[in-house]
Amino acid sequence: MLDTFETLRDIIATKFDKPLEEITPDATFESLEIDSLDTFDIIFDAEEKFGIKVPNDEVDIKTVSDVVALLDRLRAAQGK
Amino acid sequence: MTVRRVAVTGLGVLSPIGNDPSTFFANLMAGKSGIKRMETDFVDSLDCKIAAYINDYEPLDHFVKNKAATMDRVTQFAVSASQQAINDAGLNLETEDLERFGVYLGTGMGGAASIEEGYVRLYKEQARRLKPFTVLMAMNNAASAQVALDFGITGPDLTFCTACSSSSVAIGEAVRQIRHGYTDVMLAGGSEALLTFGTIKAWEALRTLADEDETDPSASCKPFSGNRSGLVLGEGAGMIVLEDMDRAIARGAKIYAEVIGYGSSNDSSHITQPSVEGQARAMRKALAEAKITADQLDYINAHGTGTKLNDITETNAIKQVCGNKIPVSSSKSMHGHLMGAAGAVEFVACMMAIQEQALPPTAHLVVPDPECDLDYVPNIGRKNVKVDTIMSNSFAFGGTSGVLIAKKVG
Repeated sequence: MLDTFETLRDIIATKFDKPLEEITPDATFESLEIDSLDTFDIIFDAEEKFGIKVPNDEVDIKTVSDVVALLDRLRAAQGK
Repeated sequence: MTVRRVAVTGLGVLSPIGNDPSTFFANLMAGKSGIKRMETDFVDSLDCKIAAYINDYEPLDHFVKNKAATMDRVTQFAVSASQQAINDAGLNLETEDLERFGVYLGTGMGGAASIEEGYVRLYKEQARRLKPFTVLMAMNNAASAQVALDFGITGPDLTFCTACSSSSVAIGEAVRQIRHGYTDVMLAGGSEALLTFGTIKAWEALRTLADEDETDPSASCKPFSGNRSGLVLGEGAGMIVLEDMDRAIARGAKIYAEVIGYGSSNDSSHITQPSVEGQARAMRKALAEAKITADQLDYINAHGTGTKLNDITETNAIKQVCGNKIPVSSSKSMHGHLMGAAGAVEFVACMMAIQEQALPPTAHLVVPDPECDLDYVPNIGRKNVKVDTIMSNSFAFGGTSGVLIAKKVG
């Protein structure tokens, strides 16, 4: 089973040309210079990668681990 | 109201025959065409497989990866050409009053590739979602908005969408912003990047595209020639810096020319068919504003698309307003039809013509057409000629004409 954090980290690294060590769970998207639209772009990529459906709800996301938590929750709920 | 004079102080160009004004103009003078067979995955599905495309532009040379991914090709072209023009003008944006600085940009189809990519994902790949940036990449004002954003420009920022005359109109209207005192400096011009499968098929259906020349695809666009068969779609951008003349002189800027006249009109006769009266009207308006007579023109850069209807209509309009003595050429025979960028790219050619005192030819003009009987500078450019005053014609589907007149200073 794909590791959520590692998969997310790889998506961010590839998309934004960031070194892997910069993308820690505590890193904020602001510190990574990734804005809110780009954050959704990342989440949508992860959605495809994991085969899950991300609802269009308001979500409060500041750090990489916030996205990991969201994805983990959806993966568990959707059995992916 | 004080009417100020307006100088052209910077040029930027991305074209199928060169990504800087000097290379671009050298290729025009050499009669070198950038029209070629497309090398895309959809070329086999095209009836018309030729285009004037840019194959030596690498977005990552200009933008970081994630930024490039959020900009349509049309926007990348616009920003890169603007950067060239700013550099050429020697402007220091750190010390500019950016509230007195504006952007007027023309584009015909805006982010055509982004729209098409979205539809492919939705309809073909059955994707559930589109990229969050889809709207922001596809919208027609994305290019001018990004130019303003990237250079911190806070004056007026408008997008002009009048098909093939978009960027001539943008330049003409930008001149008026400075002339009437609303701004001191303007980035003006246009950008186009519409060589997508869907767009080309739509153009094919109009039956205005040229057949591929059987022996030399690069010679497929033949304006004013009896064996013409239509226009060739192209992509690129032209951006220029316009500046209050007194300011340009005071800072010792290189001044390519003064824009002395602009005429705009609508044919109001047919959505595609040009009218002699409409085109003549725009030329007359530009001459009136320039306060010159037609015999003072040294060169006319024709709209010159290479369709029979345009060739004959424009020839007759020029004859009616300017007589038959002034050299006229169509640089589209080499760089193709850059649509929303056409007027600006051709205006850059005119600025270089004044600087180099040389006239670019109409390439591939080998079969005389009795209905086209002007001096079209056939096939061979003219060097060491007097080129002080130019007129650049742009006409369009929808009927909006934009004619610009500029004159060498000093």
